[in-house]
Amino acid sequence: MTLIAFLILISAVVIGYVLNLRSARALRHGGAKMHSLDGFHGGYAALMVLIPTFMLIITWLLFQGTVIEYLVKSGLPQDQLEGKGTGEIQLIMAEIRSIAGGRIFGTPEAWKLDAAERMVALRATSGGLLVAATAALAAVMLYIARRKVAADFRARQGAEGIIHGLMVACATVAIFVTIGIVASLLFETIRFFNMVPFWDFILGTSWEPQIPLREDQIAAEGAFGMLPVFLGTLVIATVAMVVATPIGLLSAIYLHEFASHRVRAVVKPVLEILAGVPTVVYGFFAILVIAPAIRSFGADLGLPIAPNTALAAGSVMGIMLIPFISSFADDALGAVPRSLRDGSLAVGATPAETVLKVLFPAAIPGIVGGILLAVSRAIGETMIVVMAAGLIAKMTINPLDSVTTVTVQIVTLLIGDTAFDSPKTLAAFALGMVLFLMTLVINIAALRIVRKYREIYD
Amino acid sequence: MYDLKKPEHDVDQAKTKISARGVQVFYGDTQAIKDVNVEIADKTVTSFIGPSGCGKSTFLRCINRMNDTIDICRVEGEITIDGHDIYAPDVDPVQLRAKVGMVFQKPNPFPKSIYDNVAYGPRIHGMTRNKAELDEVVETALRGAGLWNEVKDRLDTPGTGLSGGQQQRLCIARAVATQPEVLLMDEPCSALDPIATALIEDLIDDLKQQFSVVIVTHSMQQAARISQKTAFFHLGNLVEYGDTDTIFTNPRDERTENYITGRTG
Repeated sequence: MTLIAFLILISAVVIGYVLNLRSARALRHGGAKMHSLDGFHGGYAALMVLIPTFMLIITWLLFQGTVIEYLVKSGLPQDQLEGKGTGEIQLIMAEIRSIAGGRIFGTPEAWKLDAAERMVALRATSGGLLVAATAALAAVMLYIARRKVAADFRARQGAEGIIHGLMVACATVAIFVTIGIVASLLFETIRFFNMVPFWDFILGTSWEPQIPLREDQIAAEGAFGMLPVFLGTLVIATVAMVVATPIGLLSAIYLHEFASHRVRAVVKPVLEILAGVPTVVYGFFAILVIAPAIRSFGADLGLPIAPNTALAAGSVMGIMLIPFISSFADDALGAVPRSLRDGSLAVGATPAETVLKVLFPAAIPGIVGGILLAVSRAIGETMIVVMAAGLIAKMTINPLDSVTTVTVQIVTLLIGDTAFDSPKTLAAFALGMVLFLMTLVINIAALRIVRKYREIYD
Repeated sequence: MYDLKKPEHDVDQAKTKISARGVQVFYGDTQAIKDVNVEIADKTVTSFIGPSGCGKSTFLRCINRMNDTIDICRVEGEITIDGHDIYAPDVDPVQLRAKVGMVFQKPNPFPKSIYDNVAYGPRIHGMTRNKAELDEVVETALRGAGLWNEVKDRLDTPGTGLSGGQQQRLCIARAVATQPEVLLMDEPCSALDPIATALIEDLIDDLKQQFSVVIVTHSMQQAARISQKTAFFHLGNLVEYGDTDTIFTNPRDERTENYITGRTG
């Protein structure tokens, strides 16, 4: 049925285009002085049919499932649903759905079979209605568009106006998705703060999210203080930036200013490969190479070093960020006009002095923006730390100790059998919310810095 | 140590400062300059004129070896300053550029303060021992560029905030601050309005008392106004070189005459 609806849509679009094109051409041949070219009249009709009808089909498909479920559910015998929780009702609905889809397990009760039959019937009706509605709307739009063809009708502006509106709509999608993401985080976070006091979470120094799942289970009381977790994130992100910033910047300067063509032809693609390595692979590298190396080095010095140190995870994360920073710095240096370089060289500065005293200061805003974006990536990075960092939250800033991060905690809180109404699970959303706000602030700061201090060269 | 008021020399008696013999320049496989021979006098303004793409800027950039910064550029022949070959292996191009200053077509002040722009060269070359001396060098250079009175109260504001003509004079001050012996100017007025241009032309006239000025220009009136010697370039050849008066009133070569009278361009 959906296929038929789409076929109707396509043929209506084509018909609209051809009809308007031909009638416009007829007018022109009849001696009228047309405002717009024939093609614009055709295009106007095509767009007038396409967009509303397409929107209708999409909305229909999005909501028909929900509506049918609602109708079926309200038609179920009341005595069967009495005293049942949402989870059980959802199970019953799932069973009805699978019966309607032809997958029957065991012998279901008669009322479930009835409901399934009703569901099948409703779906068929819905499909038929969809086709009818599509055809009707397409016909109406065809008629409206066809009526518009006239010598002084501004089809050109009309078609452009529709396309303009379409572009605005596409740009809005991103904004609404962002709002949706924030809202979904926000609701769960509010639920969490109904169970755990806000300040306990923000200022608490103890993170032990183990709480009893069942009434009779013996477990700790549970403590949700985010400070040690965020401290861990900061330690690892700091290590990462200490590794990534100098290496990334210096490699960018070298590649941009000093490297010969041949060196650049080799090194740049290698850096790009580094940027394309999946973070899981970096995780392997951290556990299998860096962590044992740090540990045995520490053992040689007589230092007791945890197997999953912040240093190992952080330095591998730093390696991951090198291409990020270096490509930002490269762009920033490339944006400095050649005339500045010439000006510096012409007063007798060496290439190194030119980079250090003229190009680098001129490129600083772009570079700082890149570094801040790298910081927010380091804070949000998940896979490397899940593999290579620890699980126990400690209030420490020692990079040789084992620390945990916000992202690691979110992952561990959400995997496994968890109920979605316990503070343990909801804590993940609260952590995610704080993380989101942090990276948001950093990103905004980065963009503002880039924009404010960017030198405008013409 | 830095004296603007050197005794004025008579142009006709000026000794040769820069001498080029058989200079050829290639960009990859294309030859931009063909066998140029020229003697440029000290304490004189020499202008290079010619249609676009004739190689005058390229030749100018040979004199302070700025072409070295272009990978595919190759220079053959000999260019000497005071009799020393500047392309000799023992010559450091960095030192050379301190002696041969350059001002570009578009004003290119660094995104630094006015003071730091002018102090850039002297600092790099360690020309001063303390802040007071540096202040003096900066002031002298800015006075030399006719900019001191306009900026003396805002030396710490960014050089990029000045007007186009002021920026160009700042760039001249920057070039003058390293006390060069030769000043190369690559169409220094092409981005400026007539008033700023007139200021810079006056300035060039002053500057020639200290060193030899070589200027590339598209404006023949400008060449006639400010220069004592003129060289006409055409398609990579130095067609004619001589006293400005002679070139403009009585050119020997037909190509020069056509260009000057506006028949070719």
